[in-house]
Amino acid sequence: MKLFWSFTRQAFHNTVVYRVEFWIRLVSILLAMYSIRAVWQTLYTQRPDAFGLTLGQMVTYGVLGMALHAFIDTGSEWYIATQVRTGAIDTDLLKPIDFHVHMLARNLGEMLFGMGVMALPTYAIGYFVFGLQLPPDAGAAGLFALSVLLGFLVQFHLGFLLGSVAFATLDIRSIAWAYFAVISFFSGQMVPLWMFPDGLRAVAEILPLQAVYYIPMSIYIGTYSGTAAWSALGFQALWALILAGVARLAWHQVHRRLTVQGG
Amino acid sequence: MIHVEHLTKDYRRVKRREGLFGNLRTLFSAEYEPLRAVNDLSFDIAEGELVGYIGPNGAGKSTSIKMLCGILVPSSGRIEVNGLVPHKNRMANALQIGAVFGQKTQLWWDVPVIESLRLFRDIYKVPEPVYRQNLEMFNDLLGLHEFRDAPVRQLSLGQRMRADMAAALIHNPHLLFLDEPMIGVDVVVKERLRTFIQQVNRERKVTVILTTHDMVDIEKVCSRIMIIDHGQIVYDGDLERIRERYGTTRTLVIEFEESVPDFDAPHARLVKSEGRRKWFAFNRLETSPSALIAHISARYPVADLAVEEPDIEEIVRTVYRGGGPQEAAR
Amino acid sequence: MNPISLYLRLVRIAIKARMQYRADFVTGILGVIVMNVVNISLIGILVSRFADLNGWTIWEVVFLYSLWILGHSLFSLFMWHIRTLEDYLVQGTFDQFLLRPASAFVLFIGREVQYLGIADFAIGVSGMVLAYSNLRLTWGPVEWGFLVLAILAGTLIEMTLTLMISSIAFWTGRSRRANSLVMQVNVMVQYYPVDIFGAFFRVLVTSVIPVAFMNYYPALMLLGKVEHIGAWWPLAYASPVVALMMVGLAAGVWQLALRQYSSAGG
Ligand SMILES: Nc1ncnc2c1ncn2[C@@H]1O[C@H](COP(=O)(O)OP(=O)(O)O)[C@@H](O)[C@H]1O
Ligand SMILES: [Mg+2]
Repeated sequence: MKLFWSFTRQAFHNTVVYRVEFWIRLVSILLAMYSIRAVWQTLYTQRPDAFGLTLGQMVTYGVLGMALHAFIDTGSEWYIATQVRTGAIDTDLLKPIDFHVHMLARNLGEMLFGMGVMALPTYAIGYFVFGLQLPPDAGAAGLFALSVLLGFLVQFHLGFLLGSVAFATLDIRSIAWAYFAVISFFSGQMVPLWMFPDGLRAVAEILPLQAVYYIPMSIYIGTYSGTAAWSALGFQALWALILAGVARLAWHQVHRRLTVQGG
Repeated sequence: MIHVEHLTKDYRRVKRREGLFGNLRTLFSAEYEPLRAVNDLSFDIAEGELVGYIGPNGAGKSTSIKMLCGILVPSSGRIEVNGLVPHKNRMANALQIGAVFGQKTQLWWDVPVIESLRLFRDIYKVPEPVYRQNLEMFNDLLGLHEFRDAPVRQLSLGQRMRADMAAALIHNPHLLFLDEPMIGVDVVVKERLRTFIQQVNRERKVTVILTTHDMVDIEKVCSRIMIIDHGQIVYDGDLERIRERYGTTRTLVIEFEESVPDFDAPHARLVKSEGRRKWFAFNRLETSPSALIAHISARYPVADLAVEEPDIEEIVRTVYRGGGPQEAAR
Repeated sequence: MNPISLYLRLVRIAIKARMQYRADFVTGILGVIVMNVVNISLIGILVSRFADLNGWTIWEVVFLYSLWILGHSLFSLFMWHIRTLEDYLVQGTFDQFLLRPASAFVLFIGREVQYLGIADFAIGVSGMVLAYSNLRLTWGPVEWGFLVLAILAGTLIEMTLTLMISSIAFWTGRSRRANSLVMQVNVMVQYYPVDIFGAFFRVLVTSVIPVAFMNYYPALMLLGKVEHIGAWWPLAYASPVVALMMVGLAAGVWQLALRQYSSAGG
């Protein structure tokens, strides 16, 4: 716990020092929210009946997806890949903490820091400018928060896995791009899964990726509630556990190879 | 060859604010504070000199060398390098200087060394015969042929430094700036680089400024040393004079025939005692070794003795500390 | 050495350097292809579900996307590393560009190449071919010529923008976020026809960050949709001019940046 706070504080320090970055990050979130709203509004004006939702709900879904993305994605894959490539991973491995726990603390700290500083302004602007609606009730808000945390765990472990395979190749940039694209597609970050053509939808529903955005956001706009919400949370928790296990196994392999080959 | 007058360089640093509140304020505005890296520096270097430029970390050595290269513009003061003002005639100046920054290579990381050299040949428009002649010299003195076809990333630090050295001299510059070229290099390569630097200096009349933390480099290679600290010159002169001025301390090491209690001799101070051996420091302006030896051997039987001169490192340490000749003796 | 032959020499060395990492080549190319296919499908889902996007059919959107990526491919082949300028500054490796009797800009711009642009180019060409046949276009030499100009203009616009944004690092030490921000705006233009956005955004991508000239405006001309922008029709032909203006601007910014570097020390 102390470790975790020290990372949060450090993230805070690192980020605030670059004040320009704070503003840029805020503007970046706003832009993303703006663009998705424009798309949904255009489509909605063309065919108001095609959604099965109100425009308000649809815009909320889109705007929220952009805002969440700004926080949830802490880029653990870059960190690991860079450390492995430059050999700096050795110093991480020398630390008397389990690397997986270390990374989790670090990224959770970064996410919470990001939310601590940015969530309020983001939410306020989303609400007043872009028509972001409130969740239907306080219960949904609570479940949403829980669901975001689980979504973070799923996305973190996927990133951790990607970072772990990165040591096989020097340049993970394009792989990471593909990975981001696939995530934002199948997680329903931009377009909710029920708008997918049937085949793709079936695929998306099997994959764990919907745990990252689709589930939290569906809870938020109220399409998942009651037992549906709880079973979705269960789905997230299950996948978070599975992926954590796989990530640990993969890291174990990497670690062995690193220590055997000397990096 | 080099003329530097009241040279000053200020960097700008973001002022850190303490605490959470200070951090939040940084979101809206930043304050800068100047950091004086080079402070009113003046010196002249004549053609063909080989100057050791030394000082503790952060003294301002690299900063002043970058100004001589024309990479940085002085905050105030004047520089002339072979008649040119470096930052105003950066490219013309670049043609007459060569530089090695030991901390980072200037060669292409992933291609064979020779490719980088060929490119520099073309950038500097080095005539083919001159280029060949230089390569031959680099082969002889630096062993360039041993690793010229390997990419830089596969070179050892010593090889990399030799390659960088070759790259800095491929165009026959009049001046050579070496900023810590010996960093992390083993003794054998060091010796080789020293010989090389001396040869280049002597035979090609290249004026050299050498930054190093290894006093052996200075003793073996340099004819003059400049010591800089906090951006200011604290000593400029030849090695002999610095020895005279700051190095009047001698150490008398005596091995007695049996263990004896600790004692002080007139004008000398016991600095170390180990078994039957004792070390006495004295200032040779205050007493002579023979007087001291006579005094001591009259009291205890002496088996062996030696007088040690201070090494240059010790002297420089004294100078860094701001000690004058008097303090050096204490 | 004149700047152009110096540049060509540098590029040759940069390619040789790149070739050392062939293992990355396949994964890199595959990665870019997957990314683009996924992205196009996403828009495809939306547009096909709603028939069109503000009057742009699915193939017209593909055309927009492809035109953008063709210009971008040259940028990403030869100029991608402009975005990493801040690393050069932080690591102090920028000094070496000022140590030679040659233009620091040419030395910097010729320092690296990236093969990922090859995948971009392939995707751009395939998308363009598909769009061309599905839209049943029949271009004359004027349109083909304009296409080439528009692609080159796109490259220059992205390059000059990136250069100017990256130069922020000369003052603040950092530019990565600023670059991603502009990239974000740029990607919005790549995916969606600019006219679905409000006036503010349209002005933004036409004047301040003129990425609409990478695909949207020239596409209006090439697809015969110039009447879309009414009295603003000259914009549909303006990409090359805008690119040249940007080059002038970027040159000025670069000069300022170099001055800043040598007075502040990076
Ligand atoms: N780019 C820079 N920005 C701010 N301060 C710098 C920069 N480069 C060096 N300094 C500071 O200037 C002083 C002199 O540095 P430098 O010339 O590198 O010293 P030396 O080479 O003697 O070790 C140091 O305090 C250093 O921290
Ligand atoms: Mg230095």
